Amino acid sequence: TFKYIYYAHDITYFCPFTGALRGTVMVTNYRLFFKSMDRPAFMLDMPLGVVSRVEKIGNASTRGDVSYGVVCKDMRNLRFAHKQLEETIKKSIFEVLMKFAFPVSNGLQIFAFEYGQVFPENGWKVYDPIAEYKRQGIPNESWRITKVNDHFELCDTYPSTLVVPVNIPDEELKRVAAFRAKGRIPVLSWIHPESQATVTRCSQPMVGVNGKRSKEDEKYLQAIMDANAQSHKLFIFDARPSVNAAANKMKGGGYESEDAYQNAELVFLDIHNIHVMRESLRKLKDVVYPNIEDSHWLSNLESTHWLEHIKLILAGALRIADKVESGKTSVVVHCSDGWDRTAQLTSLSMLMLDGFYRTIRGFEVLLEKEWLSFGHRFQLRIGHGDKNHTDADRSPVFIQFIDCVWQLTRQFPAAFEFNEYFLVTILEHLYSCLFGTFLCNSEQQRLKERTVSLWSYINSQLEEFTNPMYVNYSNQVLFPVVSLRHLELWVGYYIRWNPRMKPQEPIHQRHKELLAKRAELQKRVDELQREVTNRSVSSSSERPSSPTRSITPVQTFV
Amino acid sequence: MFSGKPVKATFKCYLPPAQTDVKTSPIEPPIKLEPRFLPGEIIVNEANFVRKCISPDNGQDDLWGRLICTNFKVSFIPQEPPPKQKAQLSHLLLGQHDISLTCLEQVVTVNDTRGKRKVLGSNKKLKFNPAELILYCKDLRVIRFCFDEAGPESAKKVCLAIAHYSHPADLHLLFGFEYQGLRYHEYKANPVNGSDPKGGTQIPFFDRPSDWDREIKRTGASEWRVCSINEEYVISHSLPEYIVVPVSLTDQEVKQYSTSFSDGRVALWCWNHRNGSALVRMAGLKDPLAQKKPVEKILTAITKSHRQRQEVILSDLDKSLPNIQDIQSAFVKARQICTLDPFEESEERWLSAIENSRWLEYIRMFLKHSAEVVYNLEGRNVSVVLLEEEDRDLNCVVSSLVQLMLDPHYRSLNGFQSLVQKEWVMAGHRFLDRCNHLKKNDNKESPLFTLFLDCVWQMTNQYPAAFEFTEAYLTVLSDSMWIPLFSTFLFNSSKQCNDLLQEFAKNKAIPQDENHTVFFPPVWNWSQQFSSRDQTLFNNPMYVGKGAACVQNGEVKTFQRTKKAFSSTMRIPSTSHRNGVRAEEEHFHRRGSLVSELKADFSPVKDESPSERFFRDWFSRPADQQGLLIPLVLPSHVVLWKLFFLRWVPEACIPHGGPATVYHKVSQLVDEIETLQSKLRQYKGASPRGTPVPSSSGPPKDQTRMYFKATSPGDSPASPDILNSSFPFSPVGNLCRRSVQGTPISKFLNGAKTWLSTETLSNDTF
Repeated sequence: TFKYIYYAHDITYFCPFTGALRGTVMVTNYRLFFKSMDRPAFMLDMPLGVVSRVEKIGNASTRGDVSYGVVCKDMRNLRFAHKQLEETIKKSIFEVLMKFAFPVSNGLQIFAFEYGQVFPENGWKVYDPIAEYKRQGIPNESWRITKVNDHFELCDTYPSTLVVPVNIPDEELKRVAAFRAKGRIPVLSWIHPESQATVTRCSQPMVGVNGKRSKEDEKYLQAIMDANAQSHKLFIFDARPSVNAAANKMKGGGYESEDAYQNAELVFLDIHNIHVMRESLRKLKDVVYPNIEDSHWLSNLESTHWLEHIKLILAGALRIADKVESGKTSVVVHCSDGWDRTAQLTSLSMLMLDGFYRTIRGFEVLLEKEWLSFGHRFQLRIGHGDKNHTDADRSPVFIQFIDCVWQLTRQFPAAFEFNEYFLVTILEHLYSCLFGTFLCNSEQQRLKERTVSLWSYINSQLEEFTNPMYVNYSNQVLFPVVSLRHLELWVGYYIRWNPRMKPQEPIHQRHKELLAKRAELQKRVDELQREVTNRSVSSSSERPSSPTRSITPVQTFV
Repeated sequence: MFSGKPVKATFKCYLPPAQTDVKTSPIEPPIKLEPRFLPGEIIVNEANFVRKCISPDNGQDDLWGRLICTNFKVSFIPQEPPPKQKAQLSHLLLGQHDISLTCLEQVVTVNDTRGKRKVLGSNKKLKFNPAELILYCKDLRVIRFCFDEAGPESAKKVCLAIAHYSHPADLHLLFGFEYQGLRYHEYKANPVNGSDPKGGTQIPFFDRPSDWDREIKRTGASEWRVCSINEEYVISHSLPEYIVVPVSLTDQEVKQYSTSFSDGRVALWCWNHRNGSALVRMAGLKDPLAQKKPVEKILTAITKSHRQRQEVILSDLDKSLPNIQDIQSAFVKARQICTLDPFEESEERWLSAIENSRWLEYIRMFLKHSAEVVYNLEGRNVSVVLLEEEDRDLNCVVSSLVQLMLDPHYRSLNGFQSLVQKEWVMAGHRFLDRCNHLKKNDNKESPLFTLFLDCVWQMTNQYPAAFEFTEAYLTVLSDSMWIPLFSTFLFNSSKQCNDLLQEFAKNKAIPQDENHTVFFPPVWNWSQQFSSRDQTLFNNPMYVGKGAACVQNGEVKTFQRTKKAFSSTMRIPSTSHRNGVRAEEEHFHRRGSLVSELKADFSPVKDESPSERFFRDWFSRPADQQGLLIPLVLPSHVVLWKLFFLRWVPEACIPHGGPATVYHKVSQLVDEIETLQSKLRQYKGASPRGTPVPSSSGPPKDQTRMYFKATSPGDSPASPDILNSSFPFSPVGNLCRRSVQGTPISKFLNGAKTWLSTETLSNDTF
């Protein structure tokens, strides 16, 4: 399925770490491949999907060389140069990249639709909403599964399967939808197995400057509260800073007034919008790429505010988890549209609350559910194959989420079944356009059968992605310390291009080794045990006194 | 729980305390806690009805009790014993609420009416009756007592007593002398019950020629010899009595040259590389303008002692590293940031505050400089002389770091302890002055040893399988500096130690022994401080030592860092690789290179120096845990040592999380492996004839090496409840201002002031 497109000699790649390298460039419909025979041999292999922008660098040379910069979405920039066009080179690398790195802008197909790799498992089957809700104990006496959105008529950015309070009929859901931005009504994300406190998600209410109210919406939130007998309160977590929420009234949106919603308490979580986050990551890239400066590292990092944003998101999720777990109170989470900050908050709080999501398959389910099916606009936020790199809709919302997950794995290194490489791999394929998982904006748009799921690839080599230190304390709720004392920059992702940053997982490595050693010893003990048993059986009827295995292995995943 | 009060959630235990706990554990009658005293310890002053502040907002968690000042410690005896702390490191000499007087950094009283603070020194007057006493400790604890119910006079008296007794006028008055003297006689009278103070430690003290000889042999330093010219400290008061010098120097020459050096500190051999290069430390000349001849003579001798007669490199640490005052002020700043109260205050500008302290910057400088020395010894095969004016501070740090990087022996527990003994204690690091035990001269105070321990921690953090000991060990070692019972950290030099101990022996009627340390033991006999079970917390389960050979027939042979990088090469299934790319690769070929031309114009990369190339080469290969180890000194890889700096801060404690969870898991696994190995040995013993048992690689016979044991079938899986990021220490009992459980975020929620009040209320409902 790879098509050879372009190849040229005498290309110079300016590696920011080792200097200029001369070699050959090859471009396929999937990747750019640079190979240098200089010592030491060097290879660069990059999916075209990571290209954000390609530009000619004007003042490159006095000798008539042509120079190009490639700005990537994954925290690096590349620079190439070659001699002025010769007869033999029909097209410049610039033109090739401009065309094939941006298939959507050029009327071409994204590579995922051509990628025909067959894996033993079909990753699209990982998430079955009915099965997941059943795992949570849904339907029950308070919550039902509705098919009102089967054909995406209620809300075209929601999945077809939704869970709503039992006593709200489908007809009323439509009137609630009219009061919520983009029709994204409050629906259940997670229910506490004991207290029945729930995490529900939605978009902002269409209150507007005049303070419009909706009886149906008020009744609906009351129904959510009533579904939990443990508490006579409902917490509404508005992810935005209160100023932003208020400003949304000018556009017809806004937030729930506590007068209209009896027994509800509104909390603003002060998380900033997609534009602020984009700017923060841009600054971070400046600080970490290509080299980090020896002095002022921490204050430079501080000036990007990246970790502060991470902190606020985690803090919000922690408060949601705390309300649900410790307060036994149901919560409603929303931001403006309910597909960016809301997805971050619900999925992170669910990760804290429910050990299932901390397994590899559970995490896949979590992503499929809270991000993909509930319409996080991946196409818009990443801009797959789109050359319009200045698009204001692009934003690293999902990267931030994965960063938050990484922070949790740092604080609870034994609580997650997956390792750092799993998270890095997810982010690599966020851009690569090899798999269909992160294409499109919603479940309605997603053409699953025509692409391969990332989970097909991951689940067919689970060992690569498994944390050998994982201990399944499934009932443990994780309450991270959300303080800059414990938040760190994810060096293994943001600075991974720097060859001085050796990725080290020595603990994991050592642990795997110990596991192998244990297996070996266990085998030998078993063999000897058998031998002794055989011998004693043959020589006398006496039985050996020590049992074969006096120890049960620590739960491990090799 | 014990007093029958309603069970209440605390921040430590997030969920309401499980009622089952009460049912399953037999209800113990409340124990009246009595103060525990060591031999020779006497009460100086005390106050009753004192409140130890734990939660300043409502005071609910505060403890009431007796505050006692003895000649050894400040002790707080709570009226009701707190629920037992499971799996918390318990100190044999100090209780949970005790602080040794030597550990007090500052004693501060707060005035009742105006909240005026006063720092108390020795023999100070106090014009007001203190409402509060705040103890700032050297181990970074901050402890507050309130006197609202205590008699004002007794409160005042106890405060003054604490201030006075924490400023001893003379070294003799440190409690250790009293204690060890009595202990000696006790031990002599009843040797069965008393433990041998030196028992168990096999650490060379480097106070006798044989210790040095062994070290010469071990490192293959055949061109070096032990010289006893400094016996009775005739040439130098701060050098050990036995030093190692080039064989080409006669005793007389050593004596002659030594007069030119500061305190007679002629070159002191530290270590030899197998390639012949030596690490040597040396003081500056007494008179910098004097003839350089003695230095030249010594350098020539060092050159002669190199197998290849290689040149010698002088590394002047005074010129390239921060001085002791810089280090002190960096540490004070870092400590302030980490103990700042309230917690949120330092949160907003945490990163830049840490940077501004310069502590991490200094750590990097020391690591980097040491790595450069390593490059010279290993990469260039030249001997290095570390030069420092007095050769008693910076040289200690750098020489020991260099040896840790080069020699795996020092990464074992015993090796590490002998390294400290050799490069710090015997080399004459002024522990008395740098620790400021007498609080007499603040200018001389400097946390050089703490800096060193932090550097070591950075290396253990980067190479978690290379060191036999844990970070808990390093932390406990740093805490031991503040307990005045061990000879290790009390003196400025071995001479001072000897002199004082002789005097002391005379006073205490202790017969002179050839081994004075017997009655004033070093810190290395850890059973003085901890039970043998607690000492297992020092053992790093991940350590790949010489004894820890890997599977012989299995896949894993040696421990190597895999080069499995999250690299630019996306790893997609290999089949698809073949489909697309491989065929074309064959066509790749190259023509004449333009790179050299282009480099001048374009390359942003400066030419690599030989040392940079050496480091790059080293980092591009998998690290051998039993070989050379070079730390990464990038600012992104030198980080705050959280256990050391944050362990007492309840707000920073991650419940059920932190590195302890990994430690727990790996310890269990290793314990299981050791059990299997011992079983194999049993089989081998039981079946002498021809069973196919390969010889065991010699794991320790001691079955209790790991703190956490593998679970046996009957047990429920070990509860992680005891684990948190402060483990094995506990921040419980320290002041905690956490407004929202686990989340110091009120600062960030200015837009939602109304929320805060209700949140706090709702937290109180269960």
